[in-house]
Amino acid sequence: MIERFTFGQYRSKNSVIHSLDPRIKIIYVVILGILSFTIKSKFEIIVFSLFMLCIVLASKMDLNELIKNLRPFYFIFIFLFIMYLIFSRSQIILGLKYIWRFLMLIIISNLLTYTTTIQNLIAAIEKLSNPLKIFKIKPRNIAIMISVAVRFIPVMFVNFEKTREAMLSRLANFRKIKHIRLLVTLLLEKMFRSASNLSDAMYSRMYNENVESRKIMKLKSCDYLSILVVVLLVLLIY
Amino acid sequence: MINAKNLYFKYEDDFVLKNISLEIKEGSFTAIIGANGSGKTTLAKHFNALLMPTKGDVLVDGISTKKDEFNARKNVGFVFQNFEDQLVYSIVEEEIAFGLENLELKNEDINKSVDEILTKLNIKHLAKRNVSTLSLGQKQLVALAGVLAMKPKCIVFDEPTTNLDEKNKKNIMNIIKGLNQKDKITMIVITNLLDDLKYTDDVIVIKNGGVIFNDKKLKLRNKTLKEAVLYD
Repeated sequence: MIERFTFGQYRSKNSVIHSLDPRIKIIYVVILGILSFTIKSKFEIIVFSLFMLCIVLASKMDLNELIKNLRPFYFIFIFLFIMYLIFSRSQIILGLKYIWRFLMLIIISNLLTYTTTIQNLIAAIEKLSNPLKIFKIKPRNIAIMISVAVRFIPVMFVNFEKTREAMLSRLANFRKIKHIRLLVTLLLEKMFRSASNLSDAMYSRMYNENVESRKIMKLKSCDYLSILVVVLLVLLIY
Repeated sequence: MINAKNLYFKYEDDFVLKNISLEIKEGSFTAIIGANGSGKTTLAKHFNALLMPTKGDVLVDGISTKKDEFNARKNVGFVFQNFEDQLVYSIVEEEIAFGLENLELKNEDINKSVDEILTKLNIKHLAKRNVSTLSLGQKQLVALAGVLAMKPKCIVFDEPTTNLDEKNKKNIMNIIKGLNQKDKITMIVITNLLDDLKYTDDVIVIKNGGVIFNDKKLKLRNKTLKEAVLYD
């Protein structure tokens, strides 16, 4: 089950996008996300789409794999399209634009996780969260929260599978709401127990929220070049 | 190393630990044995200051855990029964570094310590692996490495052999024995398996939240042991 879930997984490749500073990449995700939702004209859409295609190719992402990974989202796209077709046929172009925007958002976020290791991503989020210190929010807490969430996703899938199989072996029927509710309750119970164990383990290893990330990050020439490219894109679109 | 003095611990309305007084000597290898629910883990969590006595006191190196939690956690490491839940980071070497980061050590010192521990436990090949891809035995070694890296004087293992196959059981118990003999680390193993006792020198038998035996293993009578483990 975990093996089937390949969307958003990091792939080690020797590409320009892989070598960019993860902090810069997170900022680009925000900028490109906002851009994709603010552009309106056909020209802007074409420029942005071509730009995204260039980024995908520069990241050495396999296009077939990208299309395959987008498969779970096709249902949402089709659903959106049908909704516009039924309820707002006059605004069908607007509906297509929304579908395109969602598609762009998914590709942008996929590019980030495809080209950045979780460890670098967490360290970057921790560094970017540093200004939050003035509100007494500790960046280490944010980083640990994300790290633990990432760490426990596979554990959750394994627990889900084990619980489901245990219920199936005793003739559970997951068409019944009662059994689904039971599965969810058992899974939540296990996750809460794991969370409690983890918090004990963290305290026993003297968890210190004031520690800063050990990863040293410095902008390189390719990062500066990428800033120039993104600024040019923004200027071209606006 | 560790002293419990008239220790009581109340959970909800019941006393889980009742008037426990014991001493664990530095460099010793002690088993705490008892049936499920006898209070073994609750007792051990007091050594690491994860739990505080309702009455009485626990001293680690002569300092009360109530007064100095840091001292207890620095000197007494804890390898949990569900070691899968003990792992914080996804990558092995980062997981081992977690405790060292909390001690605010320099980057070079952290890397050096992680490297030393990986070599010592013969798991250097796992350094870059994701913990979710490891076997149960490997995960346990990573959990031990994370504790060992902090150089504690004492390590508590909560049921280290439960869920492991024979090969991994022997492997982990031999590693614990080796660390006790070569590195002089005080070892405490919580168990309900009589088989685990063959590795230890001292035994504490717990029954219904109280200590019914605390001495050298050789002095332990089979009757006491079986009574505590089998008929609790």
